Amino acid sequence: MSTAAAGRVRSRTEQTRAPRRGPRLSFNGAMLAPALALLALLSLFPFFYIIAMSFSRVGLLGGITLTWAGFDNWTRLFTDSAVGASWLRSIVYFALTVGLEMTLGIGFALLLHATKVLRNLSLSLILMPMFMAPVIVGLLGRFLTDSTYGLYAYVLTQLHLFSGDLLGSPTAAFLSVTLMDVWQWTPLVTLIVLAGLASVPGPLLEAAQLDGANYVQRLRHIVFPSLTGVIVVALLIRSMDAIRYFDIITNTTAGGPADATKTVPIRLYETGFRFFDLGYAAAIGLSMLAVSILLANLFLRMLRGQGVTS
Amino acid sequence: MAGARERRGIGIGKGALLVVVLLWTLIPLLWMALSSLKPSADITSGSMTVFFKPTFEHYKALFTGGNNIAPYIRNSIVAAGVSTLIAVVLGSMAGYGLARARFRGKDHVAFWIISTRMAPIAAVILPLFVIFRFTGLLGSVFGLIVAYLTFNLPFAIWIMNAFFAQLPPSLEEAAMTEGATRWQAFRHVALPLTLPGLATTAVLCLVFSWNDYAFASTFSGPDSQTLPIAASQLVTQTSIDWGQLTAIGTIVVAPMIICGLIVRRWLVTGLTLGAVTGE
Amino acid sequence: MLGSREPAGLTRRQALARFGAGAATLALPGALGACGGSGGKAKVAKAGGDPWRRYAGTTLNFISENTAPTLAIGANLAEFEQLTGIKVKITQLELSALVQKVALDFASGLGNYEVIYADPYQILAPYHKALAPLNQFQDDEDLPSAHDMGDFIPTQLEAAGKFEEADVVYALPYDAPTMIWMYRQDLFEKYGDRMKQDLGFDPTPSMDSTWEQYLKMATWFGKHATKDVPYGTLHMAKQHDALMNDFSNVLWSFGGDYFGKGDKVGALGATDPGESLLTKDAALKAADFYQRLLRVASPSSLGWDWTGAAEGFIAGKAAMAPLWHEDAATVEGSALKGKVGFAPLPKGPARRSDMYGGTGIGVNATASKDAQRAAWLFVVWATSKKTQLTNLKSDVGGGTPTRASVYQLPEVVKARKPPSKIPNILTYGAIEEAWKPDNIGLRPKIPAWNACDTAIFTALSKMLADGGDPEKFMRQAKQGVDEAIANQKELA
Repeated sequence: MSTAAAGRVRSRTEQTRAPRRGPRLSFNGAMLAPALALLALLSLFPFFYIIAMSFSRVGLLGGITLTWAGFDNWTRLFTDSAVGASWLRSIVYFALTVGLEMTLGIGFALLLHATKVLRNLSLSLILMPMFMAPVIVGLLGRFLTDSTYGLYAYVLTQLHLFSGDLLGSPTAAFLSVTLMDVWQWTPLVTLIVLAGLASVPGPLLEAAQLDGANYVQRLRHIVFPSLTGVIVVALLIRSMDAIRYFDIITNTTAGGPADATKTVPIRLYETGFRFFDLGYAAAIGLSMLAVSILLANLFLRMLRGQGVTS
Repeated sequence: MAGARERRGIGIGKGALLVVVLLWTLIPLLWMALSSLKPSADITSGSMTVFFKPTFEHYKALFTGGNNIAPYIRNSIVAAGVSTLIAVVLGSMAGYGLARARFRGKDHVAFWIISTRMAPIAAVILPLFVIFRFTGLLGSVFGLIVAYLTFNLPFAIWIMNAFFAQLPPSLEEAAMTEGATRWQAFRHVALPLTLPGLATTAVLCLVFSWNDYAFASTFSGPDSQTLPIAASQLVTQTSIDWGQLTAIGTIVVAPMIICGLIVRRWLVTGLTLGAVTGE
Repeated sequence: MLGSREPAGLTRRQALARFGAGAATLALPGALGACGGSGGKAKVAKAGGDPWRRYAGTTLNFISENTAPTLAIGANLAEFEQLTGIKVKITQLELSALVQKVALDFASGLGNYEVIYADPYQILAPYHKALAPLNQFQDDEDLPSAHDMGDFIPTQLEAAGKFEEADVVYALPYDAPTMIWMYRQDLFEKYGDRMKQDLGFDPTPSMDSTWEQYLKMATWFGKHATKDVPYGTLHMAKQHDALMNDFSNVLWSFGGDYFGKGDKVGALGATDPGESLLTKDAALKAADFYQRLLRVASPSSLGWDWTGAAEGFIAGKAAMAPLWHEDAATVEGSALKGKVGFAPLPKGPARRSDMYGGTGIGVNATASKDAQRAAWLFVVWATSKKTQLTNLKSDVGGGTPTRASVYQLPEVVKARKPPSKIPNILTYGAIEEAWKPDNIGLRPKIPAWNACDTAIFTALSKMLADGGDPEKFMRQAKQGVDEAIANQKELA
C-alpha cells in the first residue's frame, strides 16, 4: 500500500511543479530523485518479489524458481497453530520488553534529570549498550548466564535465588532474553525521554512546587502530560525494531526451551533458512510487515494528535 | 531545618540509585573487557576471579594463525564506511528536498520511505539474494554495501529531513537573493548549518551497518566476511573460546561506543527521526 | 570390521608412480601448460608429470562446520599447497549457518564454495543433486584417485557418502564423531564398592551395562557423591539438533525408530521414509525412560547443546554423560586428564545404539569443471590415510579418522592405552563396539529431515520442560513429522 502511495505521489510532485517550467524536474525533485530511485530499486522489487513468493512454491536447486501455488501459503498461515503461538509469544515479548524499557527508561531519565553532578558523564555511560552489535549482546548474555562460568548465574546461585540454568527452563529463558533486550535498549528510551524532560515548562513546575504539590503530584500533573508525545516516539521506534530483530535470541536460546522464546522473527528465519520453505516464509514475513506498518501508523497518528511531529 | 536534612537524604538516595543504574548498565561491558584479558583457565574455572595477571594472548590469537581477523576488520570498515558515505550523501540531498518541497501527499512519501525500513530482515534476504545473484554482487563487499543501504538510506533521508526542517528557509532565501543558485544555497548555507546532523547520521548509519549480522551471514562470501561473523564463528562444536570471544566483542563494540558518544548531543534528533526535537 | 587392510595409504610417490606416465600424455594442450610458472593464471590446467599439480595456482574455498578435524586440516594446509600448488581457504561456520550458506550457494549456481562439508542429513539428503558424483573423478585416468575405497569404514561410506543409489558416491567420509559414554573413572573407583552394595550390581561401565543401570547409577551419584560432583549425569538437551541426537540413542536401544523403513532410511537414505513410528509402544517407552533420565540429570542440560554439555562435563558438573567421542581430545586437555573412562553407550531392552554424527566432504557440482577437479584433489588429500593420521595427532584439533587402516597403524594402536599422545584414540574400545553395523545409530537420511528434526527436538524439549505424559508430546512430534513430510512432497 505504501508503494502505491509513492508512485501516486511522485507523479503528483511532477504535476504540481511541471506546468510552468516544462518537463524539467524541480530542484527539490532533483534532490530527491537519486535517493528515491535507489530506494525504489532496493525496496519495490523485493516487496513485489516477496508477494510473488507468498503465492508460490519456491525451488532452490538449479536456480531459484517460483511455481504458482495459489493461496496455499496464506491458508496455511491462518490455520497454523504454531505460528499463532509464536504471535502470542511475540506479543508478550513485545509488551514485556517495551513496557520494561519504557518504565526503566523514564525512571533513568528522571533520575538523570534531577542529577546535577556528573550528569553528562553518567548519561554517556548509561548510553553505551545501545551501540553494541546485537549478536555480541546475545553472545555476551550467553556468557553471563552460563551455568558453568557465567557471572550472573554465579551471583544468583550465591544469593540462593536461582540454581538451574537460566537459559534451560522456559520461564527463566524467556525472562533472560527479555532482560538482554531491555539492557540494550533502555538507554535509547532514557535518551529520548531526557530530551523531552528538557522541554517541560520550568515556571509551571516552580509554581506547582510553591503551591505545595509534592514530587509525585508534579510528575502526574505536569511532567507526564508534557511527555506523552515523547513517549509515543520512543514506543514507535522500539516497536519497529522489536519486530525485526532476532540476533539476541538466535545467539542464545535459538527459540527454546520448549519453544518458550520462539517469537515470530525466529520462526520466520527457521521456516526460510532451515526448512527452505521460502513461499511460506514470505507469507509470514508479509504478515509481520503488515503489523509493523499498522503499528507505525497507529503511533504516528497518536503523535499527530499530540502535535509533536516535525 | 528538617527540610535541609530531608533534601540531603534525597540526595543520597538519588546517588545510590544512580550507582545501581550504572552498575546494571556497565557490569556486562566491564566483565567482557575484563574477561578478554583473563587467562583462559581463569575464565572457565567458574570462580569469578577479578584479580589476575592480565594477558593479551586472546587478542594476539585473534591476529595470528588461521583465524586472523584482520581481513574481517577491513571488510567491516569498507562495507560499513562506504555504505554510510553513500547513505549520507544521497540522504542529505533527499532529506533537504523533502524538507523544502511542498506537495500534496508528501506525508505518504515520507511514510513510504520509512516503511521500507520496517520489513523483517529475514523476509527481504531472498529477494535481495535474487537481485545480487543477477547483478554479480553476491559474495562481494559491494553487495554488503548495497544491502546496508536498504536500511541506511531511508534512515538517513528521515534524519536529515528532520535536521533541515529545523532550519529556517530564510537563510537560504537570503543567499539566493545575493545570487546563489539553489544548489549553492544548499551546499554552502544549509549543509554547513546541519553539520551536527550530518555527523549524527553518519555515526548512526555506521553503527547499524557495522553491527549487522543477518545480512552479512547470508550475502558475504569467503572474502567478504565481517567482524560480527568472525565473532559467531568462535562458537565451535566442542567449545567456545570465551577469551577470544570477549576480546573480539570488545573490538567490535569499542569503536562504535566511542563514535556514538562523540555525537551524543545530537543523537536524540537522529534516533527519534526528529520527532522529539523537531518541536 | 576394523581389521587391517592394505597397510599403506595414498602417498605422493605412489600417486606419481601410478599416474605419472598416463597424465603426461593425456594432459590438456601442452601450449597452455607450458606458459608461465606456477602461481600464474588460476584455473589453467598445466601439463606435466604430476597429476597433483595440474591445478597449481588455483584457489579453493572449503566451507565446513567448525569441528575439530577441520581445525586440524586448517593447521595442515601448507602440506596440501606444497603438494598441489593449490591455495585453500576455509570458512568455518556453526552447523545451521553452514546449511543456510551451502543451500544458497547451490541456489546461486555460482559455486563459490567448491569443497562442501556435506552433512548427510541436512545437506546431502536434500541437496545431493547439487553435489558432483565423485565416481567420475575416481575413474578419471588424469586425476589421482582416492586410494582403496574399501578402506573407508563401509557403514560410514554408505551413511556419509551416498543417497538412495548404492553405486553413486557424493562425498568421502571425512569425520566420524559418534556418541559414547564418558564417565569419571576417579569417582567410580572412589564410590564403586558402595554403589555395588547399594544397587546390587557392578556399576563399572561395561559391554553389559544397561540404560536402566545407567539411570540407577546417575541417581545414586546425585544422592551420595554431591561432595565431588553435583549430578550423576548430564545431557545435550537444548531445543536443538543435539537433543534429537541424545534421545535417539535411547529410542533405538528400546527398539523404537523414527520411520517404517528404518534401516534403509538410515544407511542409504530415502525420499519416502514410510510411516512415522513415534507413537508406537517402543517409542513411548523410550520417551518415558528419557524423561525419567533427564529428571535426575543436571537441570542445565535443557540449555546445553553439544558444546555446553561437553563444557559442563569438563567443568565437573556430572559423573557421566553421553558425549561425542571427539570430545575426548578436549577432555584430556583439561583438568580431567586421566580421570575419564570411555565406553559404548548402555544397552536397552532391544539393542545397543550409538548415534553416528559423521560427515563427508564433497564437490560442488555448480562450480566450474576445472574447479571441481581441483576440489577433488583436496577431497582425496583430506581423506587420505596420511592426512587423517596427521589430523589425529594434531595439537589444535584431534581428528576422527574414517579409514579403518588408520586405526591399525602401530603408533595409533599404541595410543589406545594411557598415557596417550592421541587422546581421541583412548576411546577406541568404545567406538570399535559402537561402529559395529548392529550398534551404529543412523538417523533418517531424508530430504525433509531438517523440518522433521525440528519437530522432534521441539516436542522433546516441551516434554522435558513440562514433565507431563510423554505420549502427548510424542503425538506432537509425529504430527510435526507427518506435516514436514507432506510439505516436502509438495516442495519436491
